[in-house]
Amino acid sequence: MTEPDRGPFGNEPSGSVRLHEVPGGVVLVVTGPLDLSLAPRLRREVLRAVRLRPATLVIDLSASTFLASVGMAELVRAHRTAGAGVTVRIVAAGPLLLRPLELTRLTDELEIRSTLHDALAEA
Amino acid sequence: MPRPAALSSLAALLTGPDGRPVPVERVVLTAAQRSLLCPCDGASPMVFVPDPDVLAALVRGATAGVVVTAEAGLAGDDGAGPPPGGAVALVARTDVGEGHRRVLEAFAAGTAAVQHTVDVLRAEAAVIDALNSVGRRLTAQLDLDRVVQDATDAATTAVGAAFGAFFYNLVDQFGESYTLYTLSGAPREAFERFPMPRNTAVFAPTFDGEGTVRSPDITVDPRFGRNAPYHGMPEGHLPVRSYLAVPVISPTSGEVLGGFFFGHPEPGRFTDRHEYLAEGIAGYSAIALDNSRLFERERNLARELSRSMLPEAPPVAGLEIVTRYLPAATGSKIGGDWFDVIPLPGDATAFVIGDVVGHGVTAATVMGQARTAVRCYAVLGLPPSRVLHQTSAVLSAFTASTFVTCFYAVHSADGTLRYANAGHLPALLRHVDGTLTEFGEALGQPLGVGASFPERTIRFGIGDELLLYTDGLVESRTRDLTVGMGWLRSAVAALPRPVTAELCDGLVAELTGGAHDDDVALIHVRNTGRGVA
Repeated sequence: MTEPDRGPFGNEPSGSVRLHEVPGGVVLVVTGPLDLSLAPRLRREVLRAVRLRPATLVIDLSASTFLASVGMAELVRAHRTAGAGVTVRIVAAGPLLLRPLELTRLTDELEIRSTLHDALAEA
Repeated sequence: MPRPAALSSLAALLTGPDGRPVPVERVVLTAAQRSLLCPCDGASPMVFVPDPDVLAALVRGATAGVVVTAEAGLAGDDGAGPPPGGAVALVARTDVGEGHRRVLEAFAAGTAAVQHTVDVLRAEAAVIDALNSVGRRLTAQLDLDRVVQDATDAATTAVGAAFGAFFYNLVDQFGESYTLYTLSGAPREAFERFPMPRNTAVFAPTFDGEGTVRSPDITVDPRFGRNAPYHGMPEGHLPVRSYLAVPVISPTSGEVLGGFFFGHPEPGRFTDRHEYLAEGIAGYSAIALDNSRLFERERNLARELSRSMLPEAPPVAGLEIVTRYLPAATGSKIGGDWFDVIPLPGDATAFVIGDVVGHGVTAATVMGQARTAVRCYAVLGLPPSRVLHQTSAVLSAFTASTFVTCFYAVHSADGTLRYANAGHLPALLRHVDGTLTEFGEALGQPLGVGASFPERTIRFGIGDELLLYTDGLVESRTRDLTVGMGWLRSAVAALPRPVTAELCDGLVAELTGGAHDDDVALIHVRNTGRGVA
């Protein structure tokens, strides 16, 4: 399988993280593989989002295609560092994303919802 | 801002033999038409008098005219001026005297100095543009082969050489230096028969990094032809008269990394500007070469660090142990995986496999800490759940965001495995009858995240085989973890016995398609039962 050109350092992310403000919170939409190259971007966007002091911070992985352990580490970090008053929820469905979260038992700790609608409904 | 009415003032220059203004018509010229009329090479004057015959060929019935280029920034009463890159011809169709020509010649003479300055500035801007674009391209690359070829091509074009070469020095893994070269404008065969250039009087200033050598005709240079065996250029060498050579010096170490050499069969081809361009490109090339060397060094450092911290599995009576560690093929992700085999008191043996999130030197360092911690608590004889609990506490204390998965299993002489799993992939057990058991899945969170790690026991009898592995074996951005684990089960079920190091390498190659983009570590243990009292 050929990979797209990922820059001279081989680490240009092939995905993206976009911040959207919605009523009741902030949504970070992750597209593409949440891997070594994209994880630092997610970390930056989480910091940005937290500065907006949302009631709910949703990290939406519905459009992500791969969750590497480095990505899971960022989810834990977001959950633990968002601070009091910010509820962090993860949107993930399907074995591609859920299996790694189950194997590491992060499902015990992270608030995972299957749709963005659900994640925001309880806000 | 175009100045209105300026065109009509110029039109007034066209006068009849009696000195009175004649009717003048404006004709818009495209860039192509304009260049037909321009009596000059290179930069054209802003306002000029075209050859009447050429003008007549372009504008039927024209007798004389004045061409005003777009750069002049002039417009007519209506505000309309020449199109960008084009011009406007002010054309007369009646008998016209020489007045306009004399005025414009006088004007040109008066503004020659200004025009010259403009030309020089334009040329400078072109040089800076060329340098800038080459620099951006070169310094955005890390692949050495591409850097050197790109630099050679760019430099040869920029200095207008017939051909150019870039000789650069590399140091091999034994610390011996050797020289390679790239060529531009000449086929490789043109140089293949000759030895590498030596430190002769001509080449020494370049290879010693003294500075640029430029000669309008190297064949009459006093430094030329003084060395045996060739006394000049070897028979069959491409003809060189104009010669330019620039050393490439590392901005970080001051070391001479190589040199650019340019040649042209005609004398006097290389100017100050060419020299300046060549030096600029040499500067960028030095940065690019430095970058690619530093990148390579970082990559090797992480690899060496990981390797040096990985143990040789000690021989254990009654067990056949195969361990493998294969660093990521693509380099940038090396450094997080480890394994360990630890003999414990009472004929017990601990097997450890783990994976530190992240890459490079940082991950390799955390891996060293994790491995040491696990080893220390293991030899204290703590049970698996305590070993992982203590290690997790230690790692959390080091940094706020450690994320390390680890499977820890202790084989006892009574034929059992006691294990705990901190977020790592499950292990595989192949029983003597060939059936498989996958065990230890989702028992606990990773080290640095979780605090409690439940412990389980499984039978590990004589003839049974244990496989511990890291995610590089079953997972990639293009392969789903669940699918990869299924492949692994099938592949392990089909492995012939006994399982050797070669078979393990084959397993890795089969599962990763030969190109693992993450580290892969694995431990395979077969309980032979032999040698145990």
